[in-house]
Amino acid sequence: MNGSLIWRIVGGVLNVGVVLLVAPLCQGVLRKVTARVQSRQGPPLLQPYFDLLKLLGKEDIESGETPPMQRFAAYLSLATVLTVACLVPMGFVAPMNGVADIILLIYLLTLCGICTLLAGLAAGSTYSLVGASREMMSMITLEPLLAIALIVGAVHTGSFRLDTVLNGSVYETNGVPWSGLIMLVVMILSFQAFVQRVPFDISEAETELMEGPLMEYSGPKLALFKYAQMAKLVIYSALFVRMFVPWGSQFVFPLAGLVFWAMFWAKVLVVVLLVTLVAATHARYRIDQAIRFFASLFAVALGALVLASYGY
Amino acid sequence: MIAREMFEEFKARFGPLIERADLPSDRRLFVFVDRSVVKFVCQHIFRELDARYVASIGTDDRPFSGKFLVAHNFAFDKDHVLCSVLTQLPENDLKIDSITKMVPAASWAEREMRDLLGIEPVGHEYLKRLVLPDGWPEGKHPLRKDVPWNEVPESYNEDNEFKFDETPEGCTVVPFGPFHPTLDEPAHFRLYVEGEMVRGCEYRGFMVHRGIEKLAESVMSYNDIPMLAERICGICGCVHSVAYVQAVEEAAALKPPPRAEYIRTIMLELERLHSHLLWVGLACHIVGFDTLFMQSFRIREPVMWIAEKISGNRKTYAICLIGGVRRDITHDIKAELRVVLDKLESEWRPVVSAVSKDRNIQKRTCGVGVANKLLVKNLGLLGPVARAAGVEIDCRHDHPYAAYDRVEFDVITAQSADVWGRVVVRMNEVFESIKIIRQCLDKMEDGPLQLEIKDELPVGRMGLSSVEAPRGESHHFVITGENNRPRRWRVRAPTYQNLQGVPMMIKDQQIADMTISLGSIDPCFSCTDRLETIDLRSGTTKVWSQKELLELTWAKTKTMTK
Repeated sequence: MNGSLIWRIVGGVLNVGVVLLVAPLCQGVLRKVTARVQSRQGPPLLQPYFDLLKLLGKEDIESGETPPMQRFAAYLSLATVLTVACLVPMGFVAPMNGVADIILLIYLLTLCGICTLLAGLAAGSTYSLVGASREMMSMITLEPLLAIALIVGAVHTGSFRLDTVLNGSVYETNGVPWSGLIMLVVMILSFQAFVQRVPFDISEAETELMEGPLMEYSGPKLALFKYAQMAKLVIYSALFVRMFVPWGSQFVFPLAGLVFWAMFWAKVLVVVLLVTLVAATHARYRIDQAIRFFASLFAVALGALVLASYGY
Repeated sequence: MIAREMFEEFKARFGPLIERADLPSDRRLFVFVDRSVVKFVCQHIFRELDARYVASIGTDDRPFSGKFLVAHNFAFDKDHVLCSVLTQLPENDLKIDSITKMVPAASWAEREMRDLLGIEPVGHEYLKRLVLPDGWPEGKHPLRKDVPWNEVPESYNEDNEFKFDETPEGCTVVPFGPFHPTLDEPAHFRLYVEGEMVRGCEYRGFMVHRGIEKLAESVMSYNDIPMLAERICGICGCVHSVAYVQAVEEAAALKPPPRAEYIRTIMLELERLHSHLLWVGLACHIVGFDTLFMQSFRIREPVMWIAEKISGNRKTYAICLIGGVRRDITHDIKAELRVVLDKLESEWRPVVSAVSKDRNIQKRTCGVGVANKLLVKNLGLLGPVARAAGVEIDCRHDHPYAAYDRVEFDVITAQSADVWGRVVVRMNEVFESIKIIRQCLDKMEDGPLQLEIKDELPVGRMGLSSVEAPRGESHHFVITGENNRPRRWRVRAPTYQNLQGVPMMIKDQQIADMTISLGSIDPCFSCTDRLETIDLRSGTTKVWSQKELLELTWAKTKTMTK
């Protein structure tokens, strides 16, 4: 028992540490690749680290209508994301395995969106309120997609355990895993929205809403929010890898484990690159167009859930 | 119909109330009418003869004729005629029938006349202040000749705020401006929003009205003004200097040498090239497609370089003078320009075909910001906005100037009347511009660049000039005057008309479509207000007043010019 507790602590620290360390790097890769696509030089790969440091060192200004809520939203947002990091097996077993299950995971992921909502409400300006309402609308239609994907896995394996479900469980049927394949397509189509990138960065739309909910943020609080968003990209990519392409990244003991661990992160990087390329080659959708798109995906996902419950 | 026939027609219809006419050529008609009949003449021209409304101009003509002068300008695009309906008003009775009811496009021009000259348009239903700042006292009209160009009235009260109309019931207000990342210049659209739908909007602009016309009429001289005119706009400056110069040339019956005309044409088309490429980039940025934004700016850059080679500047070419141009396009530059055009064409073609097939961009632009033929007619909308609605107007074709009568090109139109149509029109116009420049390079004949002008320019003559800017027709009206400067110079930029159409384009659309709808007219406002500084050491905040800022800038200018 003690042994497993130590493993958990080590795993948790490792996951959180790696996410914190890798997230700005992924952002750097994203910016560099975007720049290349756009025939630009682009910032140095390490620029996001410096950006964060710079923001963290700035004066902490209280602004907006309810500054305490604004502060709380920024803290909560990074805290939530890092908690999620402890729930997802990232090359190792999930540190919180057995203590938490996928239901908690779904709740925490929703909480991430709620932080943006809180931020928008705290600012109280028209633009941030519009941003908050857009965030809410897309959250309502978007979150069920991921939940269904997880539940399809749970149905196949008959378990809510993190390491069981987050291990390609969507494919675990006797024949062709129709439901899993459908969910794969659904998730690919909606992935940009989960990580809030173009074409679905609607709630922040710089040219329409001037960053929407984040418009009153500056200095350290903005750094936390930005950090959370970068981490979100990594964590969702990790989730995607664990759910749909887990092969070759299971936890095996020491030496082989290291190779698999590296392979896992390589796959995460590939997902990040794909996100970048899609973002660089699309225009932003309007909220009504996006919602209609999510709604049709939701219908398809429900179909997959029905298939899953019949064992396909 | 030529101008003389039109005049005969007016005379037959309105009889002695048509007082007299100036017919400098077959393509120009200045008709003086009694003020009781202005309204009906304008209605006749606009509705029955189906002319396009261009601009209304008010002038304080008291030092010369003892009266005020009002002109309503119309364009008969198919007949290639520009027509000006003029009337005189006595000093003690500055009232004229408003034509806005019949010609809605005249609304702003009449409000402007009231602000700047105190000419009251009787029957205008919305006489809110348009141009003057909110602190400016009532009853003071800066464009009158007895007001010095640099006067700030004693009673100027900078704390006065603009009063917006009442918010419609059930709507919340989304302020779009005075500063917004998609507006490069200050302008305030107050959107009345229900959920995500825009139900209406009110506009307050003219925040940085620079009084350029007044400055020109009071202190500049004929050949200074092209440089001033060029600074009206940072994108289509050359258009304004050419338009001004042509208006003066027309008034004074001067004809610039052919080589100068070709050079003007080439510069105007280079300007259109860089402007359209810039616009396509910005439009893509507005809908979140930054890759195409970056690419079109990359493709645009060589155009800026070649412009710098020719004129010494990337922008603001300062190439026009009355009677000619200041710089030549040499043999070497010609060759270089051809290379730039070839490269531009080969790089732009794939972009156009990629955008044409992109469903994603079409989704954001089809059916958005619609301005149909009726709106175009009523509000006098211009340029790509009109052409995207299938209205085939293009001054280069309808009222040829410079060397446009010697080159062949197509007027690009679309039928969809929405933002997508404007994208298509602008993208394809790039190829037409390339075509025009190539023809100019081929046909350009050797000769002088500048007409020798020995005598003083005649006084009291009128000149009209319409130049097709990238955004639409730019119209200049000049009355020549004493002291080597015009008596009156009125500039009507295309955005002046197109902006009036924006409230109708965005009504009952989503907020998200507002920016691209506004962007689609390629708006051009112009900058400086207040700023706040914080003293770090004491932590005290100081808000600078407009006056203090002005004094600071004046002091700085003095130290720099020493």
